[in-house]
Amino acid sequence: MAGLAGACALALTACSSSSSSSGPAAAASSPAGSSSATASAAAASKVTLVVYSAQGYDSAMTKAFTQATGIPVKLDDNSTGPLLTQIEASKNNPNWGLLWVDGATAFAGLDTQGLLLKGFEPSVAWNSLGTQSLPADKSYTPTGVTLMAALAYNKNKVKSPPTTWQQLLEPQWKGQVGMNDPSQSGPTFPFIAGMMNYLGGVSAGQTYFTKLKTNGLVIHPTNGPTLQALTSGQINLALVQSSAAIGAALGDKNIGISYLHPVTLLPSAIGIDAKAPAAEQAEAEKFIEFVLSPAGQKVMQSGDPTGDSLYYPVIQGVSPLASLPSLASTTTQTINPYTWGPQEATINTWFDANIVR
Amino acid sequence: MPLFWLLLAAFILAPCACFLLLAVSPRLFSQGSQWFTLTYLHQALTGGTATAIVNSLWVSSAAALVGIAVGFPIAWLVSRTTLPGRRFVSGAMWLVLLLPSWLPALGWERIVQPDGVMYRLGLDWPFVTHLIMGPSGVVLLLGLRCVPFSFLAITAALAGLGQEFEDAARVHGASRAAAMRLIIPILAPAIWSALAIGFAESISDFGVAATLAYNSNFPLATYQLYAAIGNFPPSFPLAAGMGWLLVAAVAIPLALQARALRGRSYAVLSGRTRQAVRRELRGRSRALATAGVALFFVVALGVPGFGAVSASLLADYGGSFSLTLANYHALFAQTNLAAAAGGGLLSPLERSLGYGAITATITVTGGFIAARLLARRRTKATGALDFLLLASVALPGVVFGAGYIFAYNLPIMSRLGINLYQTVTLLIIAYTAASLPTNARVLVGAVSQLQPSLKDAARTHGAGALVAWARGVLPVVSRPIVMAWMFTFCGVFLELPLSQLLYAPGSPPASIAIEDNLSTYHFGVGMAQSVLAVAIALAVVGVVLGGYRLLAPAGWRRIGGTVRG
Repeated sequence: MAGLAGACALALTACSSSSSSSGPAAAASSPAGSSSATASAAAASKVTLVVYSAQGYDSAMTKAFTQATGIPVKLDDNSTGPLLTQIEASKNNPNWGLLWVDGATAFAGLDTQGLLLKGFEPSVAWNSLGTQSLPADKSYTPTGVTLMAALAYNKNKVKSPPTTWQQLLEPQWKGQVGMNDPSQSGPTFPFIAGMMNYLGGVSAGQTYFTKLKTNGLVIHPTNGPTLQALTSGQINLALVQSSAAIGAALGDKNIGISYLHPVTLLPSAIGIDAKAPAAEQAEAEKFIEFVLSPAGQKVMQSGDPTGDSLYYPVIQGVSPLASLPSLASTTTQTINPYTWGPQEATINTWFDANIVR
Repeated sequence: MPLFWLLLAAFILAPCACFLLLAVSPRLFSQGSQWFTLTYLHQALTGGTATAIVNSLWVSSAAALVGIAVGFPIAWLVSRTTLPGRRFVSGAMWLVLLLPSWLPALGWERIVQPDGVMYRLGLDWPFVTHLIMGPSGVVLLLGLRCVPFSFLAITAALAGLGQEFEDAARVHGASRAAAMRLIIPILAPAIWSALAIGFAESISDFGVAATLAYNSNFPLATYQLYAAIGNFPPSFPLAAGMGWLLVAAVAIPLALQARALRGRSYAVLSGRTRQAVRRELRGRSRALATAGVALFFVVALGVPGFGAVSASLLADYGGSFSLTLANYHALFAQTNLAAAAGGGLLSPLERSLGYGAITATITVTGGFIAARLLARRRTKATGALDFLLLASVALPGVVFGAGYIFAYNLPIMSRLGINLYQTVTLLIIAYTAASLPTNARVLVGAVSQLQPSLKDAARTHGAGALVAWARGVLPVVSRPIVMAWMFTFCGVFLELPLSQLLYAPGSPPASIAIEDNLSTYHFGVGMAQSVLAVAIALAVVGVVLGGYRLLAPAGWRRIGGTVRG
């Protein structure tokens, strides 16, 4: 028994010591503000770059990066949720180098907590999607863009798909529209926030989704199940991430894709750990430059051909894969991740309580 | 022994305690500004989370009862009658245990959901949809998962219970029913342990909570807890608040169990235990028993198996009924691609095989020691151990995972040069810590039957402590130990939440690879991978059981054996 008590005490001391030690650890943590000074440090010694990523092409990319630069990489390939949980739980002693996921709001959240290295911008020629997605403080770098939400529809049953968001509320689409649950599907909160932004505010958006629910909105957890409901005939219109919709259309010729106006841009982005050692930060910057280089873009477009590779590039001179519909006649919008990000928990809770149930 | 307590404290108590501390002192882990607050506990007791906790409580109690109500008769039929096909029953039970709980849930949903397989086959039965997609379906699915626990606990106990008790009752004129009334109380430790473990496993289950229960708008506590962590930014303190309530909940079956068993001895297994006699089943009773057991397996295995295998054979998200092996081809193409992309020498499936085998071996050793302690006279220390073990069963894997990050990724650890987070070592430690409690529970039924005379006899004849254990005790518990090993192996092989938070970057285990496919657009490939993984796990179970049959001395296998009556 004495042994147990002693061990308990030991365990508790171990826990409580975090408070006293987090201060010095944070203070000791590297030049978080600037990035240029770190470049020379990397050349001296190659440390392992730890990549946290939810992208389908990430293992192909890390392999190509190591081949090109000789920098060793460790890849934590996970869904976005667990990656963010890891980062938040380990924030007083982080061991990630860079994070690569979809959605600017998560990065804005990390940035507000001071967890991202600010001020790095690779020397590339952005196209308009790129400039729209770049944050003012340069705390993260867009690598591509998907749209939230694309409208995937059953071509056999739907001859003339709706063309505006308001039409989805009409009786002819009653019980036929499906979307994802924001508490399970990362890209769905930016969609909801995008609608609120477009309609003029949170309450206008809430009214819209409430009407959509009255018109028989069907909710499934994530892109996959919502698309499955489309192909199985439970619904005829699915509001999902564009890459998922296009990927499904590649495999099933009965699925058609269209964009309603406006669609919200969902950037895939990379952020660098503010507390990582200088050498690792420098390598992370190299990684970003590699991803946006012609060689890197080729890897992104071939690494997951029926999934994440179906993105719209953010660099001038790189065209999207042939299967992506043109954006020429589509109105796009960006939402400010710093104003919408902090509202994610409350809006998702509202959505779960009032729309999902 | 002090070392054992130290390991328990470091690897089970510390992570749990760190996580639970968060609820009242978020500042300790940089998760908020308060040094001490009761806000989060209060939050956990109000609104949606309170509803979810109440749902979890009654659903888990009902599931544990379903588990014993179905598991006990099957165990009895298999151990004590000439039920046709009884040899296959324990194998099939393993399969039930080995399926991750979301797989049956998805399989059932696929069949009964509106526009599901049932409707497409022309069976327009909306009442079945309502029955399954709701609380009763959740109880059914969780209950089915409790059946193998009951079955294993009861068969292990029946194996140690010789024929002499039944004979004694019958000789004194008792009817079969009266003999049963004598036997059941002797089996009380196994029954209570099955109930407690069923309750704890159900209340901590995430697979059903996140699929069937969620899709039926029937919130359960683990899902709410997960949502608190899954939201961004995550609220660890609120999740910890709910963790407190889950831990408090397992105190209920534990208290009941302690009350029921206090002050009694259940040591019935000695060197003189007689082989039990199987009862010949004939005519109607034979048909009824066979049909009942078959029905159980159709519901528990047939339906989800059909769901998963069919999903893996449909290329286009299940839109049509045309079967193809496209997903399996895609899986092998993906494996080759991953290997080409420097996925290392091991594929995720091979890696998980290794993790499972190592973890199971360590866990069984620890679980046996813990079971010995639990089976002894109850002291304050064993009471605490009992509660610690069961409480940690009730905490969902994601809590364990986060707890490990909080406890083992403290800055002070790094300064001491201990960098365990995201290493294979910590992953295996966490797997072990998470499986040990269940493992100890599975073993305690068999271990509490051991009479000390077995070892004493060996010592009297001059054997050393180790030899006495190996020749006096090991033979009688060899079968339960093999069972416990396989149970742990299967649990670890497809474990998801811990793996997600703790796996070593660059070395993904099988569940991560599967989840990766299921959550992106490669649903069919993920299903193909799950089917393959379950087949591999089953093959391992087959090899281990076959190996035990071939290699264990005949005398070892005779214990718990039966003769035909």
